[in-house]
Amino acid sequence: MNQEYAIEFKHVSKIYSLKSKDKKHTNDKRFYALKDINFKIPQGEVVGVLGTNGSGKSTMSVILAGISEVDEGEMIVNGEQALIAINTGLNMQLTGMENIELKGALLGLSKKRIEEIKQGVIDFAEIGDFLYQPVKKYSSGMKSRLGFSINLCLDPDILIVDEALSVGDKGFAQKCLNKMTELKDNGKTIVFISHTLAQVREFCDTAMWIEGGMLKEYGEVDEVCDHYAEYVDYYNGLSNADKKKERDDKFEKRLLVNHKVSLFDRIFHL
Amino acid sequence: MFKSLRYVLKENFTNLFRIYSIAKYELLADMRDSKLGLFWNFANPTIQVLTYWLVFGIIMTGRSEQDGIPYICWLLGGIVVWFYVSPCITNGCNAIYSKVNVITKMKFPVSILPATVILKELFNHLCLMVVLVILFLFFGFYPNIHWLGLIYYLFCASMFAISLSMITSVLNMLARDTRKLILACMRLLMYLTPIVWAPSKLSKHRLLSVLMQFNPIDYIVQGYRDCFFYHQGIASFGTQIIIFWVITFVLLICGSYMMYKFKHKFIDLI
Repeated sequence: MNQEYAIEFKHVSKIYSLKSKDKKHTNDKRFYALKDINFKIPQGEVVGVLGTNGSGKSTMSVILAGISEVDEGEMIVNGEQALIAINTGLNMQLTGMENIELKGALLGLSKKRIEEIKQGVIDFAEIGDFLYQPVKKYSSGMKSRLGFSINLCLDPDILIVDEALSVGDKGFAQKCLNKMTELKDNGKTIVFISHTLAQVREFCDTAMWIEGGMLKEYGEVDEVCDHYAEYVDYYNGLSNADKKKERDDKFEKRLLVNHKVSLFDRIFHL
Repeated sequence: MFKSLRYVLKENFTNLFRIYSIAKYELLADMRDSKLGLFWNFANPTIQVLTYWLVFGIIMTGRSEQDGIPYICWLLGGIVVWFYVSPCITNGCNAIYSKVNVITKMKFPVSILPATVILKELFNHLCLMVVLVILFLFFGFYPNIHWLGLIYYLFCASMFAISLSMITSVLNMLARDTRKLILACMRLLMYLTPIVWAPSKLSKHRLLSVLMQFNPIDYIVQGYRDCFFYHQGIASFGTQIIIFWVITFVLLICGSYMMYKFKHKFIDLI
């Protein structure tokens, strides 16, 4: 194991099975959500992950966070990783204060630690007197701010941020970015999954472009962003028929056909 | 096998605060949901007890006594167990599924979920016990040293419910039919257990009374009644103690094994 790398992917693949159109077909098609991905992220690096919809970004984030297992290959993680999940675990009936305690506990913090982070969360979330109101009365921006703040007060070695900043207004997004920059300066590794090219360019050192479940490019942030922007422009410039063809081509490459699935596999390796 | 048992036990014991917090805030959220809150935790069992008292204490006075104990008291002394175990079983099998949004968004020790459900029900059970003890005082049953045995039987019931929920909650993730099956069988299970009828009815059928020894709920029901009325002591059950703990232990081992085997697969099972 090489300690210099925070995350190392070795030929990682994730496979989902698809139901075939007619139910009589017994051998379902199988589909590569991620296919043969190799990369090494050095410690302390901030990586932006780019990709169009359905290219496997979210699958990647759950695998990185250790929630889902890889089907092929190997993932080596040096350190504790955490996925920033904004609205998860917030209970609508409870007040903001109680939600801080609940979510803190859900994330596995000790009672003492929760007391320590409380003030920080309250300051960061800027919800003022709403702290003692039930969360169901919150605006959606407030909810996200509360959820995000609790997450940021965790202290993992590797942070995975999946589209987290697409909620909330510009000001809050900036505040989060500043906070994450602070974490970055503390030597945390951050994987930043986003659609917003501007944020990626500003915040990340390197970038990774996933397309159709495969790693297309991994390198300097500006270079990858330029290529990705070019591709998006090219794709948007296509006629509808060409777009469909492009999509089908990509889909075809990810399929794993004629894979016999035994009954045992169906039950235990869904 | 034992590796998985050790894994599940370790996960549960290192996350005691997490279990406590989840149960606490779920109860709190339930209470917040209604205007009267905690009142219902006592009102609900009181009304249940009143219903049985009305039916068996006033209307159907044909069976006024059971072993020299007013039938209503005898019935309630056993049915409280059912009021505890039954929601534990039905909610226990939903333990993981109801927390899907949490386990797919963060790294979460899934095997603690059955314990949180049982802890939550335990609180409701204690509320019911308070109501029951007050009623017993009216009938002239005063607390004595034998009532301490209730703590042991409460522990038995909780261990049994947790072990069973480990299995059913995982099965419910594999196929949601599990919960439907269990819900359908609950009423049957209630009448199969000597709760509303006396176990002495079985004395003519040797085979049935032997088979009844293998019903773990029967052991707990008889245990409760023993503590309340008969005062024979924990040791008086003979082989039934061993049978109960063997069944519970086997369930726990199977449950742990399934939890361990599927711990990273739940996200793909939704």
